[in-house]
Amino acid sequence: MNSSIEFSSYPIGEFHELCLLAGKPSRPKILIVPPLFDEMNRMRRMLIDVMRSLANWEISTCLMDLPGTNESMLPRDQASLSLWQESVQSCADHMETNHIASFRGGILAVDLLPAADHWQFSPIKGRTLLRTMMRTRIASDKESGVITKVSELEELAKTKPVELAGNQINPTLFSELQSAHPPELQNQRVARLLTDSKPCDIGLEGSALWLRAEPDSDISLSKAIAKDLADWIGQ
Amino acid sequence: MQNEVDLTPDAAVRAVMKDILGLSQEQVDEFTSETELFGALPELDSMAVAGLLTELEDRLDIMIDDDEVDGELFDTFGNLVAFAEMKVAE
Repeated sequence: MNSSIEFSSYPIGEFHELCLLAGKPSRPKILIVPPLFDEMNRMRRMLIDVMRSLANWEISTCLMDLPGTNESMLPRDQASLSLWQESVQSCADHMETNHIASFRGGILAVDLLPAADHWQFSPIKGRTLLRTMMRTRIASDKESGVITKVSELEELAKTKPVELAGNQINPTLFSELQSAHPPELQNQRVARLLTDSKPCDIGLEGSALWLRAEPDSDISLSKAIAKDLADWIGQ
Repeated sequence: MQNEVDLTPDAAVRAVMKDILGLSQEQVDEFTSETELFGALPELDSMAVAGLLTELEDRLDIMIDDDEVDGELFDTFGNLVAFAEMKVAE
């Protein structure tokens, strides 16, 4: 039994980004790509619980930071979806893993690894993420007496970074997210919550933690995810 | 892939409220059309409302025009379910 978690890093271009390793740290079996923006904060605890469960079954995992998110030194307004895609490829190469488990918006960042085995939790379109963030911006503007429209934000985002729900989204990232769909990959297994009616390979009982007002855990969901991941890699 | 299952607007709204508020199934099953939401539930701030609208769009395959959204919509659980039913029927 080894459920210790330690920091490591992976190279992306001239930089290094942090990642967390659980289990036998030298060679993680599964690379975990986190959700994007606020959803990452709200689901991180749940993901760590997944990693601990898998470590107890001697399945090692790596949870990566995407450039410009979490502890990254890259300024947040310089992040882009293409950079995140490169970083997932770079981290998978560095860790020599061929199993990618991506969550929510993180699934949009796995495009460059079409030959890998993919496990995906609750895929979401980039446009849907933007929509929630724009609604939050509009609601907070409204509370300060300013009326903002979605069309105005979309126009503004074409030329300069826009602040959406605490995130600086530059024009490249905005336009990439507008057209980003979860990729249809050859070897993929899609998991969703039981309360989600869209097609999937397995429905899991649990909460949509990305909706929770504060970050929270859901131990039974973490265990269910860990079990399905373990079955998926055949262990 | 498993087949898609239809989710009723009532069930979808209940499921999303359960997830936002971190309630148990029993607690959310007790919601009636008179259950007060906005104002009575501090977790339901503007950010949560933004997430709720997008999640309902996603789960019920509907589009919600933000001009249709006013304060009254979130007064009670019944208002929100009625709104979701109207959008699904459109």
